[in-house]
Amino acid sequence: MRAVDEGLASCHTCGRVESASHHRCGRCGAALHVRKEASLQRCLAFGFAGILAYIPANVMPIMIVNQLGIEQANTILGGVFTFWRMHAYPVAITIFIASVLIPGLKFVSLGLLCAAAAGKLRLEGRLANTMYYLTELVGRWSMVDVFVVVILAGVIQLGNLMTIQPGGASLAFGLMVILTMLSAHAFDPRLIWDRLNKEPI
Amino acid sequence: MHQSVSSGWPRAGSVRHRVACEYCDTLHEVLLLPEGKAAHCTNCGKLLYQNRPESLQRAIALGVSVLLLTGLMMFFPFISLDAKGVESRMGIVGAVVHMWEAGSPLVSLAVGLFVLGLPIFLGAGLLFLCLPLSRRRYLPGMEVVMRLLQATEHWVMVEVFFLGALVSLLKLVKLAKVELEIGFWSMAGLMVCLAGALAGIDRLELWDRIEHAKERRER
Repeated sequence: MRAVDEGLASCHTCGRVESASHHRCGRCGAALHVRKEASLQRCLAFGFAGILAYIPANVMPIMIVNQLGIEQANTILGGVFTFWRMHAYPVAITIFIASVLIPGLKFVSLGLLCAAAAGKLRLEGRLANTMYYLTELVGRWSMVDVFVVVILAGVIQLGNLMTIQPGGASLAFGLMVILTMLSAHAFDPRLIWDRLNKEPI
Repeated sequence: MHQSVSSGWPRAGSVRHRVACEYCDTLHEVLLLPEGKAAHCTNCGKLLYQNRPESLQRAIALGVSVLLLTGLMMFFPFISLDAKGVESRMGIVGAVVHMWEAGSPLVSLAVGLFVLGLPIFLGAGLLFLCLPLSRRRYLPGMEVVMRLLQATEHWVMVEVFFLGALVSLLKLVKLAKVELEIGFWSMAGLMVCLAGALAGIDRLELWDRIEHAKERRER
């Protein structure tokens, strides 16, 4: 038996189960909804904005290294190749997974979940749960490259010898991570189960 | 008295208390769990709530540790470099300020918030809630703080920053002699304490305790 079938809603903030006719939760004061409001629209809007930011994040330089007066712009993929050539394979793989693979998979996963919630695609319920759980879990880890730039720019201030400046991609990348986190957060997995419950067994 | 505070939450087990699964909306009655056990949705398997052992006491201890370690991290250097006689030293606050001056104010704000601001808020917020609640006291504003804590907990990125520091080290050791300073080790500790603080107390339990303490005061 679902809460919605009994005319009940569980508060998205504190979890208290109340009559769905209330506008605010009696315990925590948050607005009470049966499902997250405009969940699909917001998830897709943040998702597409994230995809837009993903392009400059990979094309623009993430940092500009100035070594003895010579400027060199580094992109994220360039960094992966540099580490690969240095035979630092674990680092190259870590950066590739965190910066390129995880954001890409997040877009795919959110796209599939939205399609399933909109009834365009049939996803097994528990599989959808796992996909959503993982998408929320790994979201923050893509920020790692932005932090690397902050640390390197902060510590390498060696006058004429070498300095590091943040590039445009650091902002684009940070925005992309924030947007995909907001997108994942806006999605309501209950929508998928609602579809499954409507289908004849 | 003391026993009943630490074992299970005030009203788990009362009929009035129900919980709906966050993922599939299946309705369940809240049953009293032994400490250390968790309840899962009968339909989809998602975690519903858990009864963490010694939850309030642990949250208080970890909240204090989080504040202390964040303080150490802010006031002591993080990494220092020595490149053929040219020395450079970096602290977290310095790196955030430098980012602002280097023309990336938004990135600077994001780092300041995700790595410094939110951990401080999380530690202080947990203490504000759990210290009075461990004596079943209610303070006005607890609901607001709890809501803010829940809204911000996903955005704490100390462990991600730490991974970034490890990746940076691998670049730095090629350039210069690197020394790990107190700030670095404080962050390692902070990472562990934050994870413990977030996982150590169930949110339904905290809300129930707040409501219970409030009703007790009003009676």
